[in-house]
Amino acid sequence: MATVAPGVPTGPYHAVLDHIHPEPTSFIRKYIFSIDAKVIGMQYFITGAIFFVIAGLLAEIIRTQLLSPHGAILSAATYNSVYSMHGSAMVWFVVIPLLTGAFGNFVMPMQIGARDVAFPWLNLVAFWLFPVAGVILFSSFLVGAPDAGWTEYPPISLQGPLGTNLWCIAVFLIGISSTMTGINFMVTIYKMRAPGMTFTRMPLFVWGQFATTPLLFIATTALGAALAALFIERVFGVPFYDPKRGGSPVLWQHMFWFYSHPAVYIMIIPGFGIISEVLPTFARKPIFGYKMIAFSSVAISLLSFSVWAHHMFTSGMVPWLQLPFMIITMVIAIPTGVKIFSWMATLWGGSINWKTPALYATGFLITFTYGGLTGFFLAAVPADYHEHGTYFVVAHFHYVLYGGSIMSMFAGIYYWWPKMTGRMYNEKLGQLQFWLTFIGFNATFTPMHWLGLLGMPRRVATYDPQFQFWNQFASISSYVMALGTVLFFYILFDSLRNGKKAGPNPWGARTLEWMVSSPPPYYNFKKIPAVLAAPYDFGNPLPYLGLDAAPGATEATPTSASHPVPTY
Amino acid sequence: MDLATIEKVVAFIGALVVFTFALIGLKGEWHKKGLDDNVTKVLLGLMAFGCVLVVLASFGVLPRGGGGA
Amino acid sequence: MAVSVAVHGHGPDDHGGHDDDIIYQETRDMRLMGFVLFLVSDVVLFSSYIFAYIYLRNSIQPTWPPIVDGHQLPRLDTAFAAFNSVVLFGSGVTMHFALESWKHANKPRFNTFMWLTIFLGLGFLGGQGYEYAHAQIGGWSGNIFGASFFTLTGMHGIHVFLGVCFLFALWIQTQRGVYTEHRFFGLTAGTLYWHFVDVIWVVLFFLFYLW
Repeated sequence: MATVAPGVPTGPYHAVLDHIHPEPTSFIRKYIFSIDAKVIGMQYFITGAIFFVIAGLLAEIIRTQLLSPHGAILSAATYNSVYSMHGSAMVWFVVIPLLTGAFGNFVMPMQIGARDVAFPWLNLVAFWLFPVAGVILFSSFLVGAPDAGWTEYPPISLQGPLGTNLWCIAVFLIGISSTMTGINFMVTIYKMRAPGMTFTRMPLFVWGQFATTPLLFIATTALGAALAALFIERVFGVPFYDPKRGGSPVLWQHMFWFYSHPAVYIMIIPGFGIISEVLPTFARKPIFGYKMIAFSSVAISLLSFSVWAHHMFTSGMVPWLQLPFMIITMVIAIPTGVKIFSWMATLWGGSINWKTPALYATGFLITFTYGGLTGFFLAAVPADYHEHGTYFVVAHFHYVLYGGSIMSMFAGIYYWWPKMTGRMYNEKLGQLQFWLTFIGFNATFTPMHWLGLLGMPRRVATYDPQFQFWNQFASISSYVMALGTVLFFYILFDSLRNGKKAGPNPWGARTLEWMVSSPPPYYNFKKIPAVLAAPYDFGNPLPYLGLDAAPGATEATPTSASHPVPTY
Repeated sequence: MDLATIEKVVAFIGALVVFTFALIGLKGEWHKKGLDDNVTKVLLGLMAFGCVLVVLASFGVLPRGGGGA
Repeated sequence: MAVSVAVHGHGPDDHGGHDDDIIYQETRDMRLMGFVLFLVSDVVLFSSYIFAYIYLRNSIQPTWPPIVDGHQLPRLDTAFAAFNSVVLFGSGVTMHFALESWKHANKPRFNTFMWLTIFLGLGFLGGQGYEYAHAQIGGWSGNIFGASFFTLTGMHGIHVFLGVCFLFALWIQTQRGVYTEHRFFGLTAGTLYWHFVDVIWVVLFFLFYLW
């Protein structure tokens, strides 16, 4: 109606964005079976945190076992189950659901200026598959937990205990959940951005989620196929993987890694997005190389489909295939390096506000780069012959998974905690928690590089006494990490009880989720805003139109609760 | 005529009919621009290709070396 | 045009028919995109097993059909499969014309084509049952030929069966007047699904019978 400044978005009018779900009133519809993406995001957070604690305890059991070269507490068979479950739970039930389901659901719709995701009911189903699958996974302890590692290579997994079947079912279900989330998020980001939010104006966290979605709904299906085949081979004796009956164990490795290599990027690209939000906010500087960071996420996502066989250099694959896989793997370092340097350039000359999220983001830069470099060693075929199956691999993927994914999640949780709860956390304790985690983490996993290069194999319950010192050093350092995790949960509970009110935008960030109250109202925006520019130009006025409610003002419920959307 | 020959003759005639109608459907879709129309174009085209495969099979061109139980 | 974007010309308070149409169109586009992405992920499901079949056949087995207990297994019956394939491809084409009839508001023709599609789909399933009863390749769990054949075609058969149920449910919906001449996303989705199932069969037919 009113004439607005030139440069106003000319995108299509999204009537569907105005649709508001009727606010649920009953407790069950509001908190248990909610279709509100923010509530579902919080449900993912809570469920994922529970699994994180369980899987973390399993990790501490592993480290305690390795205090002694002869194995301190567990039998070899139990130890096999413990590390298999630790890996499976951390990958599928902590990192992937938290980075996609939790952060994606809570933050992404708000950041694109939408009220919800495209398919709220699908979202609800996707979430509820997650705790159900988790219970199935952990109930395998009752019947004999899987013991062939989180990769469950046949033929060992064919002979594994009954729990391996439950493992197949659980991972299959969580895979369906991932697929649903991937489709949902891709449609949401593609179709539901607020007017004027072109692709090059999307926050980088949204870019991260967007680049992750094809991995979720394309790669995960391959895992489902592999798991179903393993299941029917175990239950009905249908030969796929058993070499005695004409099958091939390497077939499993191909199908598994066709999923699981993209999956490691599912576990890191959203984390890249979080870092790209945190760093400019705390450096008070526009992000360096916005387009480069955005497009490199997509490049990583696409390249990740063509590198899976670098996990199989020692599995007896055709030699002439090794070179291309090695080269493509190394090519992935280019877009990743583009990101790392862009982030460093973002920090460069910024007036950095060293709050906990900024500490974590910077810590992430260090540990993730380190993990990326060891990945380079593993990608090189000759070096991999030496390092494959040793603790060097364990050190590498913990540097990228803990030092990358989990550190970015810590950064994200501290960053968005005020938005989720409306309360600040204790900054001093937060920083202490960072240092405990950072030092504990590095002290735990750095020695593993040396152990691996010296030849200590992974997945063994006992080891040669010459490795004892560094194993004990790692175990004791892991207790420091555990202390940090306990402190983390204390900080969150403390913040819920004693935290001071955060206000809508405690960090002075510029993306859309900070433009509404904390915690956000169920409809997110009283009015869908229009977007004029990318959100990172600190110093310029905010690039939004239509945010009539000033931040902090009480927002009224819209007059019309629900718009009748035709269903057919 | 044994059973296999009858099957091949029926398959051949059916394939020609289906191929023709697939092309007619494809022609009707051709100028449409929606996502569903584009996907339909690809799928109808592949179905027509399937009819070509059936024709090849009914003449014994494929599989090489002859098929049949 | 550009101006009314920033400050919405119509908000949640409007209940005009025009707004309703826009919302329908936008929701339909989202559901269509979601459905196509679902089909893409289903393609990957089949591709994984197809990869497994090709891998086992080409890299692991020295001969194909494999030799089990000193006897080479027979090939599958191409003639019957060719006939059965035509039945399925034909149902794809009839489904296409069913949807076209619906778009042109020709209900009797729609009903005819819809039932033709369902019967052809059931006919294909029956043919598959006949095929399963006559395939002399050692059953599902006997060897990798049986394993890959029965797993892939069985999975396809499940898709066909679900597709028939889907189409039947859609037909019931049309009789209950759920879809109109302009709002029939369910029929679009059903048609795409049915075409997808047919096209998967093109690949399977080639891989198992013509290769």
